[in-house]
Amino acid sequence: MSKGTIIGLVIAAILVFWGISARNGMATSDQTVKSKWANVQSAYQRRSDLIPNLVKTVQGAANFEKSTITDVINARAGATQMKLDASDLTPENIQKFQAAQSQLSGSLSRLMAVAESYPQLKATQNFSELQAQLEGTENRIKTERDVFNGAVQDFNSNVVKFPNSLIASFSGFKEKGYFEADASAQKAPTVDFPK
Amino acid sequence: MFLVKAFILLFFVNQAIAQDIPPQPNPPRMLNDFVMKLNGVEAETLEQKLRGYRDSTSTEISVVIVKNTGDYDPFDYGMKIFNTWGIGKKGKNNGVLLLWATETRKLRIITGRAAEGAIPDAIAKRIINTILKPAFQSNQFYLGLDEATTEMFQRLTGEFKADAVDGEEIPFWVILLVMLFIFFIIYGISKGGGGRGGGRRNYSDGGMFFPTTISSWGSSSSGSWGSSDSGGGGGFDFGGFGGGESGGGGAGGDY
Repeated sequence: MSKGTIIGLVIAAILVFWGISARNGMATSDQTVKSKWANVQSAYQRRSDLIPNLVKTVQGAANFEKSTITDVINARAGATQMKLDASDLTPENIQKFQAAQSQLSGSLSRLMAVAESYPQLKATQNFSELQAQLEGTENRIKTERDVFNGAVQDFNSNVVKFPNSLIASFSGFKEKGYFEADASAQKAPTVDFPK
Repeated sequence: MFLVKAFILLFFVNQAIAQDIPPQPNPPRMLNDFVMKLNGVEAETLEQKLRGYRDSTSTEISVVIVKNTGDYDPFDYGMKIFNTWGIGKKGKNNGVLLLWATETRKLRIITGRAAEGAIPDAIAKRIINTILKPAFQSNQFYLGLDEATTEMFQRLTGEFKADAVDGEEIPFWVILLVMLFIFFIIYGISKGGGGRGGGRRNYSDGGMFFPTTISSWGSSSSGSWGSSDSGGGGGFDFGGFGGGESGGGGAGGDY
């Protein structure tokens, strides 16, 4: 073997090793994003699970506005239908998911606002604890979304930058979507009662 | 020498990042009263109570008293403290933070991920509304904190066990430090006295410097890998928080 071939082989070997380690790095951060996504989903699930209880409590109050309750029930149905698999976290899908959830956020916060004008309802221990749970759930959602966004940022900067982007396109890693602070979510914490 | 400097530098950089929230006092304490709302006896009693509970159950309940939460919502502020200081054991996430902002009259309980089961949000709210609020409104601050922490103890009892003294892993950096330490000792011995890099640095200098540094770091880290410090000796280092994290559980209120 000539000197040239040896040098060529060494360079090729270095490239292969670099490629493998870059790909492994992406796979690891891909897994991280997926596990954080699971946390995001369970935080949303938690909110969804609270709603039947909340609805029941609110319905117990004499002549509580029917339309706000129906809104919440419909929005919940819409949000639970919107399932998003961890392997499919494209920016468009995240946006759709977020839209469905923020509709629920909106109708929930309207419900809580309406409840403010029912003093008897507000005075019950049951309602005030549901309120605390709902507030905690919104906080969890916020926390998990932030963590998820952080993981996505790591992943994306790993995948998008050259020369990693070459490896990413070979191995099918695509940029993932973020949660954006949407207008209705910023209004949502009407729930946050006496902080 | 360079490595030690690098470590020290790293330490300061870490502290600078956490500037928005009060830096964790050194030596770390379970009760952090930054506005001196409690008198010396009350503060010490509460501190010992929290330490005792930590030592027997590994559950870390920290009380933090600040003037206000700055530009932050009490929740965000508390979360930042919780996750920066790492209240609760790493992996167990069994920490609880009770935050009190005196100027804005805000109370906030934040539960670690695994403490949420024993103290769900509704219970946290109840602790604030039925224990802390009435006590604080009549200026019985110590009483409120004492009863609130007792209530938390009762709810958390049986949830978590004390750490076994051995059987937990020693973190990598401790091993590295010990290896460095041994290396420097051998290096120092083989080189004998002086002559290396200027006259000031001689064997006894190096020999003294490393053990003191390492032993002081060792004691500050010992708690995090589960050695049992008695904590009974008064205002000494309890070993620091364990590195737990919170997912945002808890409740807030004002009084």
